[in-house]
Amino acid sequence: MFELLEHTADIGFRVRTRTPAELFEACAEALISISIDLDLVEPRAAWPLEAAGEDAESLLVNWLNEVLYLWDARRLALRRFRVLEITAGRVAGEALGEPWDPARHRARLLVKGVTYHQLRTGQDEEGWYAQVFLDV
Amino acid sequence: MSHTLRIPRDEKRGMRTEVVVYASPALLEHIKRDQSLEQAINVATLPGIVGPSLAMPDIHQGYGFPIGGVAAMDWEEGVVSPGGVGYDINCGVRLLRTNLTKADIEPRLRDVVNQIFRDVPCGTGSESDLRVDSKQLDAVLRDGAGWMVEHGYGHRRDVEFTEEHGAMKGADPDKVSHRAKERGRPQLGTLGSGNHFLEVQWVEQVFDAAAARAMGLAQDQAVVLVHCGSRGLGHQVCADYLAEMGSAMKRYQITLPDRQLACVPIQSPEGQAYLAAMCASANFAWANRQAITHFLRGSFEKLFGKETRLEVVYDVCHNIAKRETHLWEGRKRDVLVHRKGATRAFPPGHRELPAAYREVGQPVLIPGSMGTASWVLTGAEGAMRETFGSVCHGAGRLMSRTAARKGRDAREVQKRLEEQGILVRSETRDGILEEVPEAYKNVDEVIEVVHAAGLSHKMARLRPMGVIKG
Repeated sequence: MFELLEHTADIGFRVRTRTPAELFEACAEALISISIDLDLVEPRAAWPLEAAGEDAESLLVNWLNEVLYLWDARRLALRRFRVLEITAGRVAGEALGEPWDPARHRARLLVKGVTYHQLRTGQDEEGWYAQVFLDV
Repeated sequence: MSHTLRIPRDEKRGMRTEVVVYASPALLEHIKRDQSLEQAINVATLPGIVGPSLAMPDIHQGYGFPIGGVAAMDWEEGVVSPGGVGYDINCGVRLLRTNLTKADIEPRLRDVVNQIFRDVPCGTGSESDLRVDSKQLDAVLRDGAGWMVEHGYGHRRDVEFTEEHGAMKGADPDKVSHRAKERGRPQLGTLGSGNHFLEVQWVEQVFDAAAARAMGLAQDQAVVLVHCGSRGLGHQVCADYLAEMGSAMKRYQITLPDRQLACVPIQSPEGQAYLAAMCASANFAWANRQAITHFLRGSFEKLFGKETRLEVVYDVCHNIAKRETHLWEGRKRDVLVHRKGATRAFPPGHRELPAAYREVGQPVLIPGSMGTASWVLTGAEGAMRETFGSVCHGAGRLMSRTAARKGRDAREVQKRLEEQGILVRSETRDGILEEVPEAYKNVDEVIEVVHAAGLSHKMARLRPMGVIKG
């Protein structure tokens, strides 16, 4: 679904999907897969996830910031994402996972923030795409 | 001046000033490989910049601002940019001297590293036993390291030897979002992860005997270096204000070459709110390093007895924006100095320095990469003349994390370092691989440049024995 990108100090990912909903789901999964080991997480429960933005870039950054918040503040180990509703300025859905259990789960990189650095998102003849860099 | 490269202001449309890069020819080769120079050029387009957009020899590509960048903005006419401070507000370094020597530690190095690993929470997702309620958190955000000392996590002396006495004035906890507080609260007293670390080191060489005496440092003495910041609280504050400024910029008719540079006038309500939240985050970081100091004292006392001393040599921040007065082109200027991966380096005689360091200058703490050297420098007049009292902050990354992991095995890296007398413990395997020494520039080369340029003077070179990573 996504490929990791090189950056001297940090890390990024690139995603290509058929639909905009899939794009937001895949980006969320890419972000969380950098933060924790997904294979150890069970999608036992769902938490609502919603973001707004005044353009495509800020919508994506705000959505990913919500994901980061659920993980870093609410201590939720997430595994899968479902977009239920998407319009030009708003995206809503849910995150599936379980409460973080340090005995069973494994953290990977600590993501500090989602940046606008070389951020690209939109649609071309092959479908929907996004490129995002994270501060780690 | 042989160590500087100047990029004139006609290099790119919109530049308001030139770019000055401090680097040796070899370092410049590395620097040219990523986008850091372009980012320094973009910083030169920001409204109200005073003097050049400055780049230190450890510069590497960041977000918006390069890491290792310094920019002074006119306090009345200039802008403030959260990207010029970074996600990790008041990421910084604290150096503790012990009354032990290298020889005291060496035979018990494994115990020391394991004890610290038990006592200092580190790694992603780690939480500390230090619990504060929301009212106490607000007090931490106001009073910084001082709050910790008042509550039994240290001595009054610790604060005296901390930049800003461990608390920026002007911090307003109400300007920090509920989310930022929620994210940061359980992380108070934790080291974090990524490039943050804690090292047990020894003084390998002293270059300035008088300064070493003033700082209580001597050859072969054991010291501890702590490198961390404001954790999730600072990260969330940066994200919150980047989002707010993104939309506010239109109102102030600011257009930028890179959205990550988002900024607003310092004197705008948004600018003032960010600065109040930034100061609060900086105070959280100082409280955090103070709590870690307390945990470390416990570790050393358990192993070496109650007589063991860990005293603060100094504590510096290297991700911050600070209001300072500088003499520039013969005029006294009131400026906001953005130091993004840069350290304050005030010279002898500066009134901000503790009395003990007034004659020798500010201790400048430069952490090297894992397994190589770290440095203590002293601030010098050259920094006041040329760089708004600023200097480099570290070695500077050379390799991406993915590249660093490629073809390397964590156990082998650990073994290689152990053969050099360096014991490494990390929460994760990746934590070791991504921070391998070869992923960074040579810190000694970076130091040579700033020393030769007169921005700071070499004081002591420190070598690691024990490394604790998140």
